[in-house]
Amino acid sequence: MIYTIVYGFSIGAILYFISIGLSLTFGTMRVINFAHTLTYTIGVYALITLVAFLQGYFVLAAILAVFVVIPISYVIERFIIRRLYGESLDYTFIATFAVSLIGVDVIKWIWGVNPYPMKDPIGEYLMFWGLSLPIYRILIVIIAILLFVALNFFFKKTIVGKIVVAALDDKDGVRCLGINVDKYFSIVFILGSALAALGGVLYAPISSIHPYMGLSILLLSFAVVIVGGMGNLKGTFISAFALGMVMSITARYWSQGAETMVFIVMAIVLIFKPIDI
Amino acid sequence: MPLKNAPAKDYGAIGFLVIASGFLLITPILSTHRVTDFMIFCIFAMSFDLLYGYMGRLSFGHMLFLGTGAYGAGLFIKYINGNPLLAILVGIAVAGLLGMLLGLIIVRTTGACFALINLAFNHIGFFLVLSPLREITRGEDGFGVSASKLGFLNLGSRPIMFGFVLLCLLLVFYFLKRLISSPYGIMIRSIKEDETRVRFLGYNTYLYKWLTFVLAGSIAGLAGALTALNYNYVNPNAMDVNSNVGVVFACLIGGAGNLYGALIGGVTYMIISNFLPIYIHRWEMFLGFSLLIITFRFRKGVWGYFQGVWENIVKKKVIGKPIEEGVADL
Amino acid sequence: MLEIKNLDVAYGHAKVLHDISLKIEKGQMAFLIGRNGAGKTTLLKTIIGLLKPKKGSITYQGNAISNLSPEELYLRGLRYVAQEKKVFGNLTVRENIEIAAYASREPIDRTLEKVMSIYPKLKDFLKTKAGQLSGGQRQILLVGRALVGDPKLLLIDEPTQGLAAIVIEDIVKILSGLKDKVSAVIVEQNLAMVKLLADRVHILKEGKVAREIMDKSEISDTRGLEEYL
Repeated sequence: MIYTIVYGFSIGAILYFISIGLSLTFGTMRVINFAHTLTYTIGVYALITLVAFLQGYFVLAAILAVFVVIPISYVIERFIIRRLYGESLDYTFIATFAVSLIGVDVIKWIWGVNPYPMKDPIGEYLMFWGLSLPIYRILIVIIAILLFVALNFFFKKTIVGKIVVAALDDKDGVRCLGINVDKYFSIVFILGSALAALGGVLYAPISSIHPYMGLSILLLSFAVVIVGGMGNLKGTFISAFALGMVMSITARYWSQGAETMVFIVMAIVLIFKPIDI
Repeated sequence: MPLKNAPAKDYGAIGFLVIASGFLLITPILSTHRVTDFMIFCIFAMSFDLLYGYMGRLSFGHMLFLGTGAYGAGLFIKYINGNPLLAILVGIAVAGLLGMLLGLIIVRTTGACFALINLAFNHIGFFLVLSPLREITRGEDGFGVSASKLGFLNLGSRPIMFGFVLLCLLLVFYFLKRLISSPYGIMIRSIKEDETRVRFLGYNTYLYKWLTFVLAGSIAGLAGALTALNYNYVNPNAMDVNSNVGVVFACLIGGAGNLYGALIGGVTYMIISNFLPIYIHRWEMFLGFSLLIITFRFRKGVWGYFQGVWENIVKKKVIGKPIEEGVADL
Repeated sequence: MLEIKNLDVAYGHAKVLHDISLKIEKGQMAFLIGRNGAGKTTLLKTIIGLLKPKKGSITYQGNAISNLSPEELYLRGLRYVAQEKKVFGNLTVRENIEIAAYASREPIDRTLEKVMSIYPKLKDFLKTKAGQLSGGQRQILLVGRALVGDPKLLLIDEPTQGLAAIVIEDIVKILSGLKDKVSAVIVEQNLAMVKLLADRVHILKEGKVAREIMDKSEISDTRGLEEYL
């Protein structure tokens, strides 16, 4: 049972990394970014290449992989997302989907279609009440909690964070106070993408790696954001971990139904709390 | 206030002849089997266009209904009765029933919510036929479908299948065309433009949306059933979530909200997806870029673009400045 | 100081302002009155750059500004207070002012002092979340925010709408204190206020300038103005 809980939390942590960016992008720019997990996937593949290149220094490779994603997400923001401000949601959906289509194809081109195996970089276990718990997973959860604290600090204490919070309330108001909000939204977007890449990098050793991995995790992230509320930092945190637990518990009794259960939860939430977008 | 998306001009019987001959003409170039495929996709595209183009709701999970129709028809033939017509009816019925049930929930949402919840259900459906229902559906492997002959109606024969599908396509086209220009159709298009206003006029928009959802699902089910019969085979690919991009692309390229556009878009997409991979290895990238270009430049689809150009030429000959409408309510 | 010539503004195909022309001199407080839907809010939004005109020009201090963004206009001294009384609800009053001080790079303490001097009561609310303020307090906060930096032209949309009489008094007091120091274009339905503060009145009707009263003495006849509301 403890094992299930640890598993659940670690999945929740990964979902949190990815969903945060999605939630913020929607809250600030009102854009549904279908290509969000493209940076996730790119981060993973960059990691693979870097790990091979750096001969196994996982931490360094992980950090570099996340940084690699930054210019890519900047390009996406500058040329696609920015043009979608204020557009009808159908078009943002389709355009960002097109971006992910292109991106996945590029990945297939460079790295091929076959799955890459990767193993747990720590590989050690913690003895806890007679059970051996993988340290790596616990570490992921700790990082997620640290991230939550850091983000909270950022949005509550720094001026940039406060500007973003203000802009979430009243974008025009911020503009009329002389602040170029779009610039800050770009920063938020890139931050979100980098976090998604971080999620990918951390999850890579314990999941299967293939070019379409972005799609399945994207759907789950959407579910997290919908359940937690768009642009709601605390809500995203809670719903990520909650849904992570749902997946873990479902997997225990019905091994393949984990993802499906998340969607069922999402559907139920949508019935009782439909979003007005 | 005049509706912005008026239905395609009614070319009457000539329209049918044009469509039929269009398909007949390309047959010698490709093959009967291929064109039948195209036509089935066009039926699917029209069902999607009803939902997206006319009612304005983008679904990213419409394949669910195609798959349901395919499995419905296929399983019927496999386990119950080989009668192809009955199988098709069963396929439509099952898809329609699913639409009725899911529609109750789904139709309450809009925009991104709508797209995503359809996507989620499509995903769930795909998973269901792949895994838990494996006993019945044979999971990933799928199963063969061989319909029995019904008098002269031997759907195993390619030319007959071709003719049958063409007939279905024309029937669906006719049905949808009548529907769109009927009061019901006007209601649907009004909902797309401004649902709140329609509701304030006292109409139960929920009912209309639900009905449209069921219809779109049923027609997609028809396409699915025809797929099963055409390939004599059903597997989870009939419900593949990724295939949704095809029908979205088709409607965009043809111009959403335009039945002729759906047909042209459908054929275009089929040609692209069937033949492009042969010449361009990275055809999905190409698809992605084209989608981007269409989204940013050709909103009304390529067809709509040319229609617009034509109208501008005609307008220049007539006269004058467009009349400006009155003061807006603030 | 501000000159608008032949301005046409439209929402999509629907034209809202037709051939508007008016002029504000430096230090003047001009009032815009008119019925709902006459286009007053649209006019203010166009001046501040949230809307782009279809035709015509807006000149401020000799420069054409109709294609500038609100952010750029802020740095030139334009300040806009919207009709909806939206504050940054999730931030405290102090933080709201902090944001206002950000672009003008004024040190926060000086800003707070300035705002407190205009409206000392705000001091009690510095730590309160702006979303919890009453309508009147919000309006004061919004005016306070607008006065940060070096404001030269205030554009205020219905400052007293929906407010209690005692708050209206406070606002009138604040605005009187600003007379001759900053120019202003204020949209109002409250004719008593107009009578008290206006240097000139422009009346909008159905998107056009129906009447202009340039002389302060003529404004005292409020009955004449009432018919336009």
